[in-house]
Amino acid sequence: MNPELGQDLSLLHLVWNASLPVQFVMLLLLGASLMSWWVIFIKLFALKRARQLTDQFEHEFWGGSDLNTLYQRISGGRESVCEMGRIFEAGFREFLKLRGQSGQSINVILDGTRRAMRATYQRELDHLESHLSFLATVGSVSPYVGLFGTVWGIMIAFIGLSSVAQATLAQVAPGIAEALIATAMGLFAAIPAVVGYNRYTHDIDRLANRMESFMEEFSNILQRQASKAG
Amino acid sequence: MRLAADAPLTARDNTRRVAAALALGVHALFVLLLVFGVSWQTEHPAPVMVDLWQALPAAAPPPQRDPRPADPVKPEPAPTKPAPAPDPEPAAEVPPPKAPDIALEKKRAETERLKKIKAIEQAEARAREAALQAESDALKKARDTQQSEQKRQALLRQMEADELKQSMAGEAAANAARAARQAAAQAASARQSALSQSIGKYRDLISATVRGHTRLPDNLSGNPQVRCLVKLLPTGDVVSVRVTQSSGNPAYDAAVVRAIQQSSPLPLPPEREARAAFVPELSLTHRPQE
Repeated sequence: MNPELGQDLSLLHLVWNASLPVQFVMLLLLGASLMSWWVIFIKLFALKRARQLTDQFEHEFWGGSDLNTLYQRISGGRESVCEMGRIFEAGFREFLKLRGQSGQSINVILDGTRRAMRATYQRELDHLESHLSFLATVGSVSPYVGLFGTVWGIMIAFIGLSSVAQATLAQVAPGIAEALIATAMGLFAAIPAVVGYNRYTHDIDRLANRMESFMEEFSNILQRQASKAG
Repeated sequence: MRLAADAPLTARDNTRRVAAALALGVHALFVLLLVFGVSWQTEHPAPVMVDLWQALPAAAPPPQRDPRPADPVKPEPAPTKPAPAPDPEPAAEVPPPKAPDIALEKKRAETERLKKIKAIEQAEARAREAALQAESDALKKARDTQQSEQKRQALLRQMEADELKQSMAGEAAANAARAARQAAAQAASARQSALSQSIGKYRDLISATVRGHTRLPDNLSGNPQVRCLVKLLPTGDVVSVRVTQSSGNPAYDAAVVRAIQQSSPLPLPPEREARAAFVPELSLTHRPQE
Protein backbone atom coordinates (compact mmCIF):
# COMPACT_ATOMS: atom_id res chain seq x y z
CA MET A 1 0.00 0.00 0.00
CA ASN A 2 1.27 3.37 -0.94
CA PRO A 3 0.62 6.05 1.67
CA GLU A 4 1.71 8.94 -0.49
CA LEU A 5 -0.77 11.67 -1.12
CA GLY A 6 -2.43 12.40 -4.39
CA GLN A 7 -2.20 8.91 -5.75
CA ASP A 8 -4.19 7.46 -8.52
CA LEU A 9 -7.46 6.00 -7.30
CA SER A 10 -8.52 4.14 -10.39
CA LEU A 11 -10.05 0.71 -10.03
CA LEU A 12 -7.16 -1.20 -11.52
CA HIS A 13 -4.68 0.73 -9.42
CA LEU A 14 -6.60 -0.09 -6.26
CA VAL A 15 -6.86 -3.77 -7.10
CA TRP A 16 -3.24 -3.95 -8.13
CA ASN A 17 -2.02 -2.32 -4.93
CA ALA A 18 -4.21 -4.36 -2.61
CA SER A 19 -2.58 -6.55 -0.03
CA LEU A 20 -2.10 -10.20 -0.88
CA PRO A 21 -5.00 -11.72 1.12
CA VAL A 22 -7.37 -9.14 -0.30
CA GLN A 23 -6.14 -9.89 -3.78
CA PHE A 24 -6.64 -13.59 -3.14
CA VAL A 25 -10.18 -12.97 -1.94
CA MET A 26 -10.87 -10.86 -5.00
CA LEU A 27 -9.57 -13.58 -7.27
CA LEU A 28 -11.72 -16.15 -5.50
CA LEU A 29 -14.78 -14.00 -5.83
CA LEU A 30 -14.07 -13.28 -9.47
CA GLY A 31 -13.85 -17.01 -10.11
CA ALA A 32 -17.05 -17.67 -8.18
CA SER A 33 -18.83 -14.91 -10.03
CA LEU A 34 -17.69 -16.17 -13.41
CA MET A 35 -18.72 -19.73 -12.56
CA SER A 36 -22.08 -18.71 -11.20
CA TRP A 37 -22.86 -16.63 -14.26
CA TRP A 38 -21.82 -19.54 -16.42
CA VAL A 39 -24.18 -21.81 -14.53
CA ILE A 40 -26.90 -19.20 -14.70
CA PHE A 41 -26.66 -19.01 -18.46
CA ILE A 42 -26.40 -22.78 -18.91
CA LYS A 43 -29.48 -23.29 -16.77
CA LEU A 44 -31.31 -20.48 -18.51
CA PHE A 45 -30.82 -22.13 -21.87
CA ALA A 46 -31.47 -25.64 -20.57
CA LEU A 47 -34.71 -24.75 -18.81
CA LYS A 48 -35.95 -22.66 -21.68
CA ARG A 49 -35.35 -25.56 -24.01
CA ALA A 50 -36.97 -28.01 -21.59
CA ARG A 51 -40.09 -25.84 -21.36
CA GLN A 52 -40.32 -25.47 -25.11
CA LEU A 53 -39.90 -29.21 -25.73
CA THR A 54 -42.35 -30.07 -23.00
CA ASP A 55 -44.94 -27.75 -24.51
CA GLN A 56 -44.32 -29.34 -27.88
CA PHE A 57 -44.59 -32.88 -26.47
CA GLU A 58 -47.77 -32.14 -24.55
CA HIS A 59 -49.27 -30.64 -27.65
CA GLU A 60 -48.44 -33.79 -29.61
CA PHE A 61 -49.50 -36.15 -26.86
CA TRP A 62 -52.89 -34.59 -26.27
CA GLY A 63 -53.37 -33.90 -29.94
CA GLY A 64 -54.81 -37.33 -30.40
CA SER A 65 -51.86 -38.99 -32.12
CA ASP A 66 -51.34 -42.70 -31.75
CA LEU A 67 -49.28 -43.71 -28.71
CA ASN A 68 -47.42 -46.40 -30.63
CA THR A 69 -46.23 -44.04 -33.37
CA LEU A 70 -45.28 -41.45 -30.78
CA TYR A 71 -43.29 -44.05 -28.87
CA GLN A 72 -41.54 -45.20 -31.99
CA ARG A 73 -40.65 -41.72 -33.01
CA ILE A 74 -39.23 -40.85 -29.61
CA SER A 75 -37.30 -44.05 -28.99
CA GLY A 76 -36.03 -44.33 -32.55
CA GLY A 77 -35.34 -40.80 -33.71
CA ARG A 78 -33.61 -39.41 -30.64
CA GLU A 79 -34.59 -36.00 -31.94
CA SER A 80 -34.81 -33.34 -29.22
CA VAL A 81 -36.41 -35.43 -26.55
CA CYS A 82 -37.67 -33.60 -23.51
CA GLU A 83 -37.84 -34.95 -19.95
CA MET A 84 -41.51 -35.69 -20.26
CA GLY A 85 -40.90 -37.54 -23.52
CA ARG A 86 -38.30 -39.71 -21.84
CA ILE A 87 -40.69 -40.48 -19.01
CA PHE A 88 -43.32 -41.45 -21.56
CA GLU A 89 -40.81 -43.59 -23.40
CA ALA A 90 -39.68 -45.43 -20.26
CA GLY A 91 -43.25 -46.00 -19.07
CA PHE A 92 -44.59 -47.13 -22.40
CA ARG A 93 -41.67 -49.48 -22.97
CA GLU A 94 -42.18 -51.09 -19.58
CA PHE A 95 -45.93 -51.32 -20.28
CA LEU A 96 -45.38 -53.03 -23.63
CA LYS A 97 -42.84 -55.45 -22.15
CA LEU A 98 -45.09 -56.41 -19.25
CA ARG A 99 -48.15 -56.77 -21.47
CA GLY A 100 -46.15 -58.96 -23.81
CA GLN A 101 -45.55 -61.41 -20.97
CA SER A 102 -48.72 -63.49 -20.62
CA GLY A 103 -50.57 -63.92 -17.37
CA GLN A 104 -49.81 -60.55 -15.78
CA SER A 105 -52.59 -58.82 -13.90
CA ILE A 106 -53.38 -55.18 -14.70
CA ASN A 107 -52.17 -54.08 -11.31
CA VAL A 108 -48.76 -55.64 -11.79
CA ILE A 109 -48.42 -54.08 -15.24
CA LEU A 110 -49.39 -50.65 -14.01
CA ASP A 111 -47.15 -50.83 -10.93
CA GLY A 112 -44.17 -51.76 -13.08
CA THR A 113 -44.93 -48.96 -15.49
CA ARG A 114 -45.23 -46.39 -12.70
CA ARG A 115 -41.95 -47.53 -11.15
CA ALA A 116 -40.16 -47.17 -14.45
CA MET A 117 -41.64 -43.70 -14.97
CA ARG A 118 -40.82 -42.66 -11.43
CA ALA A 119 -37.18 -43.70 -11.85
CA THR A 120 -36.81 -41.74 -15.05
CA TYR A 121 -38.57 -38.80 -13.48
CA GLN A 122 -36.07 -38.80 -10.59
CA ARG A 123 -33.13 -39.01 -12.93
CA GLU A 124 -34.40 -36.20 -15.11
CA LEU A 125 -35.16 -34.03 -12.13
CA ASP A 126 -31.68 -34.64 -10.78
CA HIS A 127 -30.25 -33.64 -14.09
CA LEU A 128 -32.33 -30.48 -14.19
CA GLU A 129 -31.27 -29.54 -10.69
CA SER A 130 -27.59 -30.16 -11.22
CA HIS A 131 -25.32 -27.14 -10.48
CA LEU A 132 -28.13 -25.32 -8.73
CA SER A 133 -26.49 -26.09 -5.39
CA PHE A 134 -23.42 -24.25 -6.67
CA LEU A 135 -25.53 -21.16 -7.21
CA ALA A 136 -26.92 -21.51 -3.71
CA THR A 137 -23.43 -21.80 -2.25
CA VAL A 138 -22.11 -18.78 -4.11
CA GLY A 139 -25.19 -16.80 -3.14
CA SER A 140 -24.85 -17.50 0.52
CA VAL A 141 -21.08 -17.58 0.99
CA SER A 142 -19.57 -14.95 -1.29
CA PRO A 143 -20.85 -11.96 0.74
CA TYR A 144 -19.00 -13.35 3.71
CA VAL A 145 -15.87 -13.94 1.69
CA GLY A 146 -16.03 -10.39 0.40
CA LEU A 147 -16.60 -9.13 3.92
CA PHE A 148 -13.55 -11.03 5.05
CA GLY A 149 -11.49 -9.32 2.37
CA THR A 150 -12.84 -5.94 3.40
CA VAL A 151 -12.13 -6.49 7.07
CA TRP A 152 -8.64 -7.61 6.25
CA GLY A 153 -7.99 -4.61 4.00
CA ILE A 154 -9.29 -2.14 6.58
CA MET A 155 -7.18 -3.82 9.22
CA ILE A 156 -4.09 -3.38 7.06
CA ALA A 157 -5.04 0.23 6.38
CA PHE A 158 -5.33 1.05 10.05
CA ILE A 159 -2.16 -0.78 10.94
CA GLY A 160 -0.40 1.33 8.32
CA LEU A 161 -2.00 4.40 9.84
CA SER A 162 -0.58 3.64 13.27
CA SER A 163 2.99 3.98 12.02
CA VAL A 164 2.66 7.57 10.83
CA ALA A 165 2.86 10.57 13.09
CA GLN A 166 0.17 12.65 11.48
CA ALA A 167 -2.92 10.67 10.60
CA THR A 168 -4.94 12.00 7.72
CA LEU A 169 -7.93 10.58 5.93
CA ALA A 170 -5.91 10.43 2.73
CA GLN A 171 -3.69 7.77 4.25
CA VAL A 172 -6.50 5.32 5.01
CA ALA A 173 -8.83 6.19 2.17
CA PRO A 174 -7.10 4.12 -0.54
CA GLY A 175 -6.86 1.12 1.75
CA ILE A 176 -10.53 1.30 2.66
CA ALA A 177 -11.57 1.86 -0.93
CA GLU A 178 -9.57 -1.13 -2.05
CA ALA A 179 -11.01 -3.22 0.77
CA LEU A 180 -14.54 -2.23 -0.10
CA ILE A 181 -13.99 -3.45 -3.64
CA ALA A 182 -13.85 -6.95 -2.13
CA THR A 183 -17.32 -6.50 -0.62
CA ALA A 184 -18.62 -5.11 -3.88
CA MET A 185 -17.30 -8.14 -5.71
CA GLY A 186 -18.82 -10.48 -3.16
CA LEU A 187 -22.21 -8.87 -3.57
CA PHE A 188 -21.84 -8.84 -7.33
CA ALA A 189 -21.25 -12.57 -7.24
CA ALA A 190 -23.96 -13.28 -4.69
CA ILE A 191 -26.93 -11.29 -5.92
CA PRO A 192 -27.28 -12.90 -9.38
CA ALA A 193 -26.57 -16.30 -7.90
CA VAL A 194 -29.39 -15.94 -5.37
CA VAL A 195 -31.80 -14.54 -7.92
CA GLY A 196 -30.89 -17.29 -10.38
CA TYR A 197 -31.20 -20.00 -7.76
CA ASN A 198 -34.67 -18.87 -6.70
CA ARG A 199 -35.90 -18.46 -10.22
CA TYR A 200 -34.57 -21.81 -11.40
CA THR A 201 -35.82 -23.79 -8.43
CA HIS A 202 -39.24 -22.29 -9.10
CA ASP A 203 -39.04 -23.16 -12.80
CA ILE A 204 -37.89 -26.69 -12.03
CA ASP A 205 -40.71 -27.10 -9.51
CA ARG A 206 -43.23 -26.15 -12.12
CA LEU A 207 -41.69 -28.56 -14.63
CA ALA A 208 -41.69 -31.31 -11.99
CA ASN A 209 -45.37 -30.65 -11.29
CA ARG A 210 -46.16 -30.92 -14.95
CA MET A 211 -44.23 -34.16 -15.19
CA GLU A 212 -45.98 -35.65 -12.17
CA SER A 213 -49.38 -34.71 -13.51
CA PHE A 214 -48.44 -36.24 -16.84
CA MET A 215 -47.33 -39.45 -15.12
CA GLU A 216 -50.70 -39.74 -13.36
CA GLU A 217 -52.66 -39.00 -16.49
CA PHE A 218 -50.54 -41.37 -18.60
CA SER A 219 -51.04 -44.12 -16.00
CA ASN A 220 -54.79 -43.66 -16.32
CA ILE A 221 -54.57 -43.92 -20.09
CA LEU A 222 -52.46 -47.09 -19.85
CA GLN A 223 -54.88 -48.58 -17.32
CA ARG A 224 -57.76 -47.98 -19.68
CA GLN A 225 -55.84 -49.55 -22.57
CA ALA A 226 -54.84 -52.59 -20.46
CA SER A 227 -58.37 -53.21 -19.20
CA LYS A 228 -59.72 -52.78 -22.77
CA ALA A 229 -57.23 -55.28 -24.11
CA GLY A 230 -57.51 -57.65 -21.19
CA MET B 1 -33.43 -52.27 -21.15
CA ARG B 2 -32.02 -49.05 -22.56
CA LEU B 3 -31.48 -46.27 -20.10
CA ALA B 4 -33.20 -43.14 -21.23
CA ALA B 5 -31.23 -40.79 -19.07
CA ASP B 6 -27.88 -41.56 -20.64
CA ALA B 7 -29.07 -39.85 -23.76
CA PRO B 8 -27.05 -36.66 -24.02
CA LEU B 9 -28.82 -33.45 -24.72
CA THR B 10 -28.11 -32.42 -28.26
CA ALA B 11 -26.06 -29.29 -28.79
CA ARG B 12 -25.00 -29.43 -25.19
CA ASP B 13 -21.39 -28.24 -25.73
CA ASN B 14 -22.53 -25.40 -27.85
CA THR B 15 -24.80 -24.20 -25.06
CA ARG B 16 -21.96 -24.35 -22.60
CA ARG B 17 -19.70 -22.30 -24.76
CA VAL B 18 -22.35 -19.67 -25.37
CA ALA B 19 -23.03 -19.52 -21.64
CA ALA B 20 -19.35 -19.03 -20.87
CA ALA B 21 -19.10 -16.22 -23.39
CA LEU B 22 -22.17 -14.57 -21.94
CA ALA B 23 -20.79 -14.83 -18.41
CA LEU B 24 -17.57 -13.18 -19.52
CA GLY B 25 -19.60 -10.51 -21.27
CA VAL B 26 -21.56 -9.74 -18.13
CA HIS B 27 -18.34 -9.33 -16.17
CA ALA B 28 -16.74 -7.16 -18.78
CA LEU B 29 -19.84 -4.97 -18.75
CA PHE B 30 -19.70 -4.69 -14.99
CA VAL B 31 -16.03 -3.76 -15.00
CA LEU B 32 -16.64 -1.14 -17.66
CA LEU B 33 -19.48 0.25 -15.59
CA LEU B 34 -17.22 0.45 -12.56
CA VAL B 35 -14.33 2.03 -14.42
CA PHE B 36 -16.33 4.63 -16.31
CA GLY B 37 -19.45 4.95 -14.20
CA VAL B 38 -17.81 5.75 -10.90
CA SER B 39 -15.82 8.96 -10.99
CA TRP B 40 -12.64 7.70 -9.44
CA GLN B 41 -10.71 10.56 -8.02
CA THR B 42 -7.68 10.80 -10.23
CA GLU B 43 -6.97 14.51 -10.21
CA HIS B 44 -5.92 16.62 -7.31
CA PRO B 45 -6.03 20.38 -7.15
CA ALA B 46 -2.59 21.84 -7.42
CA PRO B 47 -1.35 23.15 -4.07
CA VAL B 48 -1.49 26.89 -3.72
CA MET B 49 1.38 28.71 -2.07
CA VAL B 50 0.58 31.92 -0.30
CA ASP B 51 3.15 34.33 1.04
CA LEU B 52 1.93 36.23 4.03
CA TRP B 53 3.38 39.68 4.28
CA GLN B 54 3.02 41.94 7.22
CA ALA B 55 3.70 44.94 5.08
CA LEU B 56 5.17 45.56 1.73
CA PRO B 57 8.92 45.25 1.72
CA ALA B 58 10.67 48.53 2.09
CA ALA B 59 11.16 50.39 -1.10
CA ALA B 60 14.74 50.20 -2.16
CA PRO B 61 16.72 53.39 -1.96
CA PRO B 62 16.97 55.07 -5.32
CA PRO B 63 19.73 53.36 -7.18
CA GLN B 64 22.84 55.38 -7.84
CA ARG B 65 22.81 56.34 -11.42
CA ASP B 66 26.47 57.02 -11.80
CA PRO B 67 28.63 54.83 -9.63
CA ARG B 68 31.82 56.65 -10.46
CA PRO B 69 31.99 59.72 -8.32
CA ALA B 70 34.95 61.96 -9.06
CA ASP B 71 36.51 59.38 -11.19
CA PRO B 72 40.28 59.56 -11.26
CA VAL B 73 41.59 60.57 -14.63
CA LYS B 74 40.54 57.88 -16.96
CA PRO B 75 43.09 56.59 -19.37
CA GLU B 76 42.23 56.39 -23.03
CA PRO B 77 39.22 54.16 -23.75
CA ALA B 78 40.38 50.73 -22.83
CA PRO B 79 39.43 47.75 -24.96
CA THR B 80 38.04 46.03 -21.92
CA LYS B 81 34.50 46.60 -20.91
CA PRO B 82 33.90 49.51 -18.64
CA ALA B 83 33.16 48.57 -15.07
CA PRO B 84 29.47 47.93 -15.01
CA ALA B 85 27.33 50.19 -12.95
CA PRO B 86 25.92 48.32 -9.97
CA ASP B 87 22.71 46.91 -11.23
CA PRO B 88 19.76 48.58 -9.60
CA GLU B 89 17.61 45.47 -9.98
CA PRO B 90 19.11 43.26 -7.22
CA ALA B 91 19.07 46.18 -4.83
CA ALA B 92 15.35 46.50 -5.33
CA GLU B 93 14.67 42.84 -4.92
CA VAL B 94 16.91 41.72 -2.14
CA PRO B 95 15.98 43.10 1.24
CA PRO B 96 18.40 45.80 2.32
CA PRO B 97 19.80 44.05 5.44
CA LYS B 98 21.73 41.91 3.08
CA ALA B 99 23.37 44.93 1.53
CA PRO B 100 26.86 44.31 2.98
CA ASP B 101 26.74 40.78 1.65
CA ILE B 102 25.81 42.03 -1.73
CA ALA B 103 28.63 44.52 -1.70
CA LEU B 104 31.07 41.84 -0.68
CA GLU B 105 29.82 39.52 -3.30
CA LYS B 106 29.97 42.15 -5.92
CA LYS B 107 33.51 42.90 -4.94
CA ARG B 108 34.44 39.28 -5.10
CA ALA B 109 32.79 38.83 -8.45
CA GLU B 110 34.56 41.90 -9.72
CA THR B 111 37.99 40.73 -8.62
CA GLU B 112 37.35 37.34 -10.05
CA ARG B 113 36.31 38.77 -13.32
CA LEU B 114 39.39 40.94 -13.41
CA LYS B 115 41.57 37.98 -12.68
CA LYS B 116 39.97 36.05 -15.46
CA ILE B 117 40.40 38.87 -17.91
CA LYS B 118 44.01 39.25 -16.94
CA ALA B 119 44.67 35.57 -17.37
CA ILE B 120 43.08 35.59 -20.78
CA GLU B 121 45.07 38.58 -21.82
CA GLN B 122 48.27 37.04 -20.59
CA ALA B 123 47.57 33.88 -22.51
CA GLU B 124 46.88 35.91 -25.58
CA ALA B 125 50.10 37.84 -25.18
CA ARG B 126 52.04 34.66 -24.74
CA ALA B 127 50.50 33.18 -27.84
CA ARG B 128 51.25 36.30 -29.79
CA GLU B 129 54.78 36.32 -28.57
CA ALA B 130 55.27 32.71 -29.55
CA ALA B 131 53.84 33.30 -32.96
CA LEU B 132 56.01 36.31 -33.35
CA GLN B 133 59.08 34.41 -32.35
CA ALA B 134 58.41 31.70 -34.84
CA GLU B 135 57.79 34.17 -37.53
CA SER B 136 60.89 36.15 -36.85
CA ASP B 137 62.94 32.96 -36.76
CA ALA B 138 61.65 32.00 -40.14
CA LEU B 139 62.42 35.43 -41.40
CA LYS B 140 65.92 35.24 -40.07
CA LYS B 141 66.45 31.98 -41.74
CA ALA B 142 65.26 33.44 -45.02
CA ARG B 143 68.03 36.04 -44.70
CA ASP B 144 65.63 38.75 -45.51
CA THR B 145 67.38 40.73 -42.94
CA GLN B 146 66.29 44.20 -43.45
CA GLN B 147 62.69 43.60 -44.10
CA SER B 148 62.45 41.12 -41.36
CA GLU B 149 64.20 43.51 -39.05
CA GLN B 150 61.79 46.18 -40.00
CA LYS B 151 58.90 43.89 -39.58
CA ARG B 152 60.18 42.71 -36.30
CA GLN B 153 60.65 46.22 -35.14
CA ALA B 154 57.16 47.02 -36.19
CA LEU B 155 55.86 43.95 -34.50
CA LEU B 156 57.81 44.67 -31.40
CA ARG B 157 56.45 48.15 -31.40
CA GLN B 158 53.03 46.78 -31.87
CA MET B 159 53.64 44.37 -29.06
CA GLU B 160 54.86 47.08 -26.81
CA ALA B 161 51.82 49.08 -27.63
CA ASP B 162 49.68 46.07 -26.93
CA GLU B 163 51.35 45.55 -23.61
CA LEU B 164 50.88 49.13 -22.74
CA LYS B 165 47.26 48.89 -23.69
CA GLN B 166 46.84 45.82 -21.60
CA SER B 167 48.37 47.37 -18.57
CA MET B 168 46.22 50.40 -19.10
CA ALA B 169 43.17 48.23 -19.43
CA GLY B 170 44.04 46.46 -16.20
CA GLU B 171 44.41 49.77 -14.49
CA ALA B 172 41.08 50.89 -15.83
CA ALA B 173 39.41 47.75 -14.64
CA ALA B 174 40.94 48.15 -11.21
CA ASN B 175 39.73 51.71 -11.10
CA ALA B 176 36.28 50.63 -12.09
CA ALA B 177 36.25 47.98 -9.39
CA ARG B 178 37.31 50.51 -6.81
CA ALA B 179 34.61 52.83 -7.99
CA ALA B 180 32.02 50.08 -7.76
CA ARG B 181 33.14 49.23 -4.26
CA GLN B 182 32.94 52.83 -3.27
CA ALA B 183 29.49 53.08 -4.76
CA ALA B 184 28.31 50.02 -2.90
CA ALA B 185 29.74 51.32 0.34
CA GLN B 186 28.08 54.63 -0.29
CA ALA B 187 24.78 52.99 -1.01
CA ALA B 188 25.03 50.96 2.16
CA SER B 189 25.91 53.97 4.24
CA ALA B 190 23.09 55.92 2.62
CA ARG B 191 20.68 53.19 3.49
CA GLN B 192 22.05 53.05 6.98
CA SER B 193 21.64 56.74 7.42
CA ALA B 194 18.13 56.64 6.01
CA LEU B 195 17.36 53.88 8.42
CA SER B 196 18.66 55.67 11.45
CA GLN B 197 16.87 58.77 10.30
CA SER B 198 13.62 56.86 10.08
CA ILE B 199 14.20 55.30 13.49
CA GLY B 200 14.87 58.67 15.02
CA LYS B 201 11.79 60.13 13.39
CA TYR B 202 9.53 57.42 14.69
CA ARG B 203 11.13 57.57 18.12
CA ASP B 204 10.19 61.23 18.24
CA LEU B 205 6.75 60.42 16.93
CA ILE B 206 6.20 57.82 19.63
CA SER B 207 7.42 60.20 22.31
CA ALA B 208 5.08 62.88 21.03
CA THR B 209 2.13 60.50 20.98
CA VAL B 210 2.83 59.35 24.50
CA ARG B 211 3.33 62.89 25.65
CA GLY B 212 -0.02 63.79 24.14
CA HIS B 213 -1.68 61.19 26.31
CA THR B 214 0.19 61.95 29.48
CA ARG B 215 -1.75 63.65 32.27
CA LEU B 216 0.89 65.21 34.43
CA PRO B 217 0.24 64.85 38.15
CA ASP B 218 -0.07 68.02 40.18
CA ASN B 219 2.79 67.37 42.50
CA LEU B 220 5.35 67.05 39.73
CA SER B 221 8.43 69.15 40.12
CA GLY B 222 11.32 69.51 37.73
CA ASN B 223 11.76 67.34 34.68
CA PRO B 224 12.19 63.80 36.03
CA GLN B 225 12.96 61.00 33.63
CA VAL B 226 11.09 57.70 33.44
CA ARG B 227 12.46 54.75 31.53
CA CYS B 228 9.94 52.14 30.46
CA LEU B 229 10.27 48.81 28.74
CA VAL B 230 7.39 48.46 26.30
CA LYS B 231 6.61 45.16 24.69
CA LEU B 232 5.09 45.66 21.26
CA LEU B 233 3.44 43.58 18.63
CA PRO B 234 4.58 44.15 15.06
CA THR B 235 1.35 46.06 14.51
CA GLY B 236 2.35 48.58 17.14
CA ASP B 237 -0.10 47.32 19.75
CA VAL B 238 1.24 47.59 23.27
CA VAL B 239 1.43 44.25 25.01
CA SER B 240 2.88 45.31 28.33
CA VAL B 241 4.61 48.28 29.91
CA ARG B 242 7.11 48.00 32.71
CA VAL B 243 8.94 50.81 34.47
CA THR B 244 12.64 50.03 34.50
CA GLN B 245 13.84 53.28 35.95
CA SER B 246 11.46 55.24 38.11
CA SER B 247 11.31 58.98 38.20
CA GLY B 248 10.90 58.94 41.96
CA ASN B 249 7.35 60.11 41.60
CA PRO B 250 5.01 57.06 41.54
CA ALA B 251 2.09 59.11 40.31
CA TYR B 252 4.11 60.31 37.34
CA ASP B 253 5.33 56.77 36.65
CA ALA B 254 1.75 55.51 36.63
CA ALA B 255 0.70 58.41 34.41
CA VAL B 256 3.38 57.56 31.87
CA VAL B 257 2.47 53.88 31.87
CA ARG B 258 -1.16 54.78 31.36
CA ALA B 259 -0.26 57.18 28.58
CA ILE B 260 1.75 54.51 26.78
CA GLN B 261 -1.11 52.07 27.07
CA GLN B 262 -3.55 54.65 25.79
CA SER B 263 -1.39 55.49 22.78
CA SER B 264 -1.54 51.91 21.60
CA PRO B 265 -1.08 51.23 18.72
CA LEU B 266 2.15 53.17 18.58
CA PRO B 267 3.25 54.50 15.21
CA LEU B 268 5.92 52.29 13.73
CA PRO B 269 8.05 52.77 10.65
CA PRO B 270 6.84 50.88 7.61
CA GLU B 271 10.30 49.49 6.83
CA ARG B 272 10.87 46.16 8.41
CA GLU B 273 14.50 46.71 9.33
CA ALA B 274 13.66 50.03 10.91
CA ARG B 275 10.85 48.42 12.82
CA ALA B 276 13.33 45.92 14.21
CA ALA B 277 14.56 48.68 16.49
CA PHE B 278 11.11 48.89 18.05
CA VAL B 279 9.25 45.72 17.74
CA PRO B 280 9.82 43.05 20.29
CA GLU B 281 10.79 45.45 23.06
CA LEU B 282 11.18 49.17 23.13
CA SER B 283 12.99 51.06 25.81
CA LEU B 284 11.24 54.38 26.06
CA THR B 285 12.66 57.33 27.96
CA HIS B 286 10.16 59.94 28.88
CA ARG B 287 10.30 63.40 30.44
CA PRO B 288 7.46 65.81 31.08
CA GLN B 289 9.14 68.40 28.93
CA GLU B 290 11.40 68.01 25.97
